[in-house]
Amino acid sequence: MYAIETENLVKKYGGLTALDGVSLKVPEGECFGLLGPNGAGKTTLIRILTTLIRPTSGRALVAGFDVAKEKASVRGAIGVVPQAMTSDLDLTGLELMDIYARFYDMGKKERRDRIDELLTMVGLRERAGDLVATYSGGMRRRLEIARGLVHRPSILILDEPTIGLDPQSRHVVWELLEKFRKADKLTILLTTHYMEEAESLSDHVAIIDYGRIVALDTVEGLKKQIPQKDTIELTVSNIDMGKAKEEVSAHSSVSSVAVNEATLIISVDNGANAIPELVDRLKSLGAKVTRVTLKEQTLEDVFIHFTGRPIREEEARKVSFLLGAGVPRQWGK
Amino acid sequence: MNRFKAILERDLRKFIRNPLVVAMSVLMPVIYLVILGNSFQGELKRLPVAVVDQDNGPGAEKVMERLNALEAGPRTIETRKVSSQGFAMEGLKEGVFKGVIVIPPGFSRDLARGSVAEVGLFLDNAETIAAVAVQSSVTRAVSDLGREFVSVREERTAPHLRPIELYRKIDYDQTLIPGVVIMAIFLGAMTTGAFNIVMDRFLGVEESYFLTPLTKKDIVMGLVGSGLLITTIIAVVVLFLGSLISGIYLWSFIGIDTLLLILAVIVLSTLGLQGLMFVVMGRLNHPRIVGVLGGFLNVIFFFPSGAIYPVESFPAWLKAFAVVNPETYSVHALRALMFKGASLGAVKGDIVFLAVFAAVSVAAGTAAFKREL
Repeated sequence: MYAIETENLVKKYGGLTALDGVSLKVPEGECFGLLGPNGAGKTTLIRILTTLIRPTSGRALVAGFDVAKEKASVRGAIGVVPQAMTSDLDLTGLELMDIYARFYDMGKKERRDRIDELLTMVGLRERAGDLVATYSGGMRRRLEIARGLVHRPSILILDEPTIGLDPQSRHVVWELLEKFRKADKLTILLTTHYMEEAESLSDHVAIIDYGRIVALDTVEGLKKQIPQKDTIELTVSNIDMGKAKEEVSAHSSVSSVAVNEATLIISVDNGANAIPELVDRLKSLGAKVTRVTLKEQTLEDVFIHFTGRPIREEEARKVSFLLGAGVPRQWGK
Repeated sequence: MNRFKAILERDLRKFIRNPLVVAMSVLMPVIYLVILGNSFQGELKRLPVAVVDQDNGPGAEKVMERLNALEAGPRTIETRKVSSQGFAMEGLKEGVFKGVIVIPPGFSRDLARGSVAEVGLFLDNAETIAAVAVQSSVTRAVSDLGREFVSVREERTAPHLRPIELYRKIDYDQTLIPGVVIMAIFLGAMTTGAFNIVMDRFLGVEESYFLTPLTKKDIVMGLVGSGLLITTIIAVVVLFLGSLISGIYLWSFIGIDTLLLILAVIVLSTLGLQGLMFVVMGRLNHPRIVGVLGGFLNVIFFFPSGAIYPVESFPAWLKAFAVVNPETYSVHALRALMFKGASLGAVKGDIVFLAVFAAVSVAAGTAAFKREL
C-alpha cells in the first residue's frame, strides 16, 4: 500500500510545463525527500497532492484518495506545512491550534488533549498564550508543524520546512520530524534544498528537474549511480612518488590516482574503509604518511550530477501589465 | 457549523486585536456626519457680497436696508460696503466675494421718477450653487422697491402660503444620519469579510486553511458572518453617536418595533454589501486594489442613494441607477423609520428589495469565490 502514488502527472501554465509526467510511489511510513533546483516543479507537485491546484492531466492518489475527485477526504488525511509562514500573527499559539482543530471537527476534549500534547512536544506550551507575532521564525515553524499534525493525519507534507531557519532551529525541526514520525507512524513527504536535511531524514529521495523525476532511490543507491567516487588525499615523504602511485593504484577499490608534488589524489570506492589499507601499503615501502584527508561523496554531488549547474529560470509570477500584482491570478500574464 | 463558527471566531479575534481599526471604523462615519452636516447645511449661509454704492441717494439706502434685513434674517448673504468697483471686482475674481452689487449713479432719481431703475449684480458663476443663492436673495431685496407703502392689513385677495410640516422639526445634519449609517455599513463591509481574504492572500496565509477540510461555503459564510456582526455593531454605534451629536434623541421617541425594523434594515444592508464585496473583491490579492475599488464604489453607491439630494432630482440615467442601488432603499427605509415613525407597511418594499439583494449577492459571492490557489 502506498501513501502517495502519482501517475504521469502533468501541470501546464499556458505554454510553461511545470510538471511533465511525474510518476512516483511513496510507501506508507516512509520519509520521502523531494530534491530539485528552484522552479523544478517541487511546489507545484506538492500543491497538486494537497488539492490546492488541479493537475492538467495524470492521476494522483493520496492516502488512497484521488486528489481531483476526493478533495475533502485527501484534506482530512494529510497535514501540511507550507513553504511560507502561514500562521495568523494576530492569534495566540493556543487560539491558532484550537481554531485549526475545529476546522477538522474535533471535539472539545480531544482538541484540548491533542493541542496540549503537541505544544509540549514542540516546546511551545509555555508560550501558548502569546501572540504568534511575538514568536521567532523557528518557533513559528514548530507551531506550524504542530498545527499540521493537530488532527492526527496519516501523511505529513512539508514544503521546504527549514528554509530561512538558523542551523539550531533546523536541527530542532529535524528532531521533531523524527519524533513525530515514530510516535504517529507518519508518512512524510518533504521538499528541501538542504542536502543534509534530505540525507538525514529521507528513506528515499527523488530528484526532480524541469518537471520530471530524473532520479529516485535511497541516498546510498543514488550515490552509487554516479561516476564520482570518494577522494582521498595522502601527503607522503621518504618515497618515490611514481612508486607510491603504482602501489596505491594496485588496490582493488582505487579507480584512479593523480600526483600533485608530494600528495597522492586517489579516487576510490568507500574511502573510509580504504584509508588504513592504503596507508599500510605505503608504510610497508618505507614511506611516511604526513597528512590524510577524505572527501566523501555527498548527496550534493548526486544532485549536481543529475541537475547540472545552470541556474534555473523560475516560473514567472503572474502580473497584470495594467494593474500589477493586485488582480485575480488568471488575469495576470 | 463548527467550522463556520471557527472561521467566524478567527476573524473576530483578529479584528479586535486591532483596536485602532475598530475605533476608526466607528469614528470615521461620525466625522463624516460632522463634516457633511456642517459643509452642506441645506440652505447656503453667509455668502460674502460686496456692495458698491455710486448713487448715495435714498434709493440706495433702501436697497442697503433690505440687504441688511436679509443679513440679519435668513443670513444667506453678508454684505460689505466697498467704495471702489475695481476693488470689488478684483475680490470677486479672487473668490473673496461671491457677488458684487453695483448701485449706479442716478439710481435714486430713476426710482423716484418711476422709470426703470437698475442695480448691477456681478456673480461668480463658476460656483453655480452660490451664484444662484446670491441672485435669489438680491432679487428679493430689490423687488418692489418702488412701492412707497406696505399695507398694514393682509390683502385678502392674495394667496397666502402656510407651510405645515408633517413631522417633528428635523435639522439638515439630522437628515444626514441615515446616509452616514449606510456609509458606516459600506466601510464596515469593505474592511471586513472579503477584505480579510484579500489580506490573507496578500500575506500568504490563505494557503493554510485552504489545506483543511473547510468548504467554500464555510469560508465565505464564516467571513460574511463575522463581517455582519462587526459592521452591525459599528452601524448601531454610529446611529447612536450620530443621533447624540446632531441632537435628535431617537431613543426618546422610537419604540421597540421601530428599533427592530431599523436593525433589520441595517442587517440586510450589511449582508447585501458583504456579498457584493465578495463578488467584486473575492479574487483579488492586493489590498491596494481594494482601496481604489472601495473608494470608487463608496461614491457611486452613496451619492445616488438620496442620502444628500433627493433621488427625484437626478437626471434620468442616474435615477435609473438609483433604482437598483441598494443604498437608496436603505436610506429611504431608515429615514422613514427614524423621522416619520413609519410602520413595517411603509418600508416593506425597501426590506423586500434589501432581502433579495442580500440573498443574490451572498449566493453570487460564494459562487465567485475560488477555493484554490
